[in-house]
Amino acid sequence: MTVWAPTDNGHADITSHDSYLEGVPHNTFARLRRDDPLHWTEYSQGKAFWSVTRHADILAMNAKPAIFSSAQGIRMEDQTYEEYLARRTFQETDAPEHMMTRMKVAKAFSGPVIAGFEEAIRQLCAEILDEALSVSEFDATKTIARQLPMRMLGRILGLPDEDLPWLVEKGDALIANTDPDFTTHVLDKMTTHEFRMMPFNSPAGAELYVYAKDLMARKAAAGENDGVLNMILQPGKDGSTITDEEFRNFFCLLVAAGNDTTRYSIAAGIQAMCHQPELLDQMRSDTAIWETAGDEIIRWATPAIYFRRTATEDVEMHGKTIRARDKVIYWFASGNRDEAAFETPFKVDLSRKPNRHLSFGQGGPHVCLGMWLARLEVKILFQELAKRLGSIEAAGPHKFLRSNFVGGIKELPVRIKRC
Amino acid sequence: MKVTWKIADGTSISAEVATGVSLMEAAIANNVPRITGDCGGNLACATCHVFVDPDWVDKVGPPDGMEDGMLDMTEVGRAQHSRLSCQIIASEDLDGLVLHVPV
Repeated sequence: MTVWAPTDNGHADITSHDSYLEGVPHNTFARLRRDDPLHWTEYSQGKAFWSVTRHADILAMNAKPAIFSSAQGIRMEDQTYEEYLARRTFQETDAPEHMMTRMKVAKAFSGPVIAGFEEAIRQLCAEILDEALSVSEFDATKTIARQLPMRMLGRILGLPDEDLPWLVEKGDALIANTDPDFTTHVLDKMTTHEFRMMPFNSPAGAELYVYAKDLMARKAAAGENDGVLNMILQPGKDGSTITDEEFRNFFCLLVAAGNDTTRYSIAAGIQAMCHQPELLDQMRSDTAIWETAGDEIIRWATPAIYFRRTATEDVEMHGKTIRARDKVIYWFASGNRDEAAFETPFKVDLSRKPNRHLSFGQGGPHVCLGMWLARLEVKILFQELAKRLGSIEAAGPHKFLRSNFVGGIKELPVRIKRC
Repeated sequence: MKVTWKIADGTSISAEVATGVSLMEAAIANNVPRITGDCGGNLACATCHVFVDPDWVDKVGPPDGMEDGMLDMTEVGRAQHSRLSCQIIASEDLDGLVLHVPV
């Protein structure tokens, strides 16, 4: 049994947020991979762009950041230069600036540092699951998937527990800015340009900025100078320091990206367990599975559906010419279902190895900073969940986020029996 | 050139690698375990970490500044002969090279 089968007719408008309401329109991406792997894609909200849908092409292009630049925006939407400057994070920069900023925070998110959080994560998972599983029917996105990344981010950034729900709400408003369930300022339906200089073009960006400034002032007053946020305020090797605007945008990035991506990986994994009952059996009986299970769940989820680059020179590919200044979109969601890269891509195979999925933007310098944390959180959550579950099944239809950018199940009603 | 990756379980993988190819790319092409090269050789991830065999350290040479910084972020921690294999490029000088893959 497959976990979920795409229902689009193979000719969906892949730029439209509404095309993702039933999940990623994978029949359309399968057709593009087969027939038109470098597809000139019309876009009603702005300039048309090239869609790259094959796994091998995404990897090859992502490894050439000098030709396919991040420094003119990384989303489908067009930005003026002024908007770009005001809203950019180090995600939207190229070498050498990119690495200079990234190095300031990379250590705090590196494998060995994150490994030190294992016990803290396990304890949080136990708390969250013991509460969630005290009833037999619940929304697993809300009571499990949403909880862990939020509380863990709070620990890492040293934020007070009582602030966390507010922060997550604002993070959702930023990144799920095309879903009316998460924001009153739906991006493609907005009639005002008032927030165009704010992170993610959202008023939540302004509120988070004020929060970040207050937080740092409080920490400074209390003499607290450790943690990730202080680390990025330190001068770099060349003596340069981060500007207020960069700090604001980085904080928003952490709150937004640090929350919903891992949340939707967990949700997709739980949804898979509802439809492939053998997954729970494997998790319960085969300890070797944990070496590979987390990455397979993250491949299956692909929370970041795409990222965009901009060509800096003309490039010939598949008999076509990408012109300098053309937008190019790497569809990670498509690459992760590419039959040429994965056997049975529409099946969750917890022992899949090798698993060269693209969920973290692998193959380029912008590979996810939080990937070690995400992998560890996903692995431990499912280890602890499997320990406690006798069975799990869907208790109703699940609902996807309205977004061409964030792939996620926002409502996931499940029915469980404890073991 | 010929390269051999020695793996912690006592096995090894040997392959011919064309001049100019990085040893991270070669490791992936030959399914060497634990080397994933997540950033595509852009010095952003430290997932192609290897220990150069002591006999080859002089020929391979030391890491440069940026690589040196990234070596502090490897999963198993750095050791005396740590290098990121995306920064070691195959050449005839290195024919016979032996690399040890971290556990």
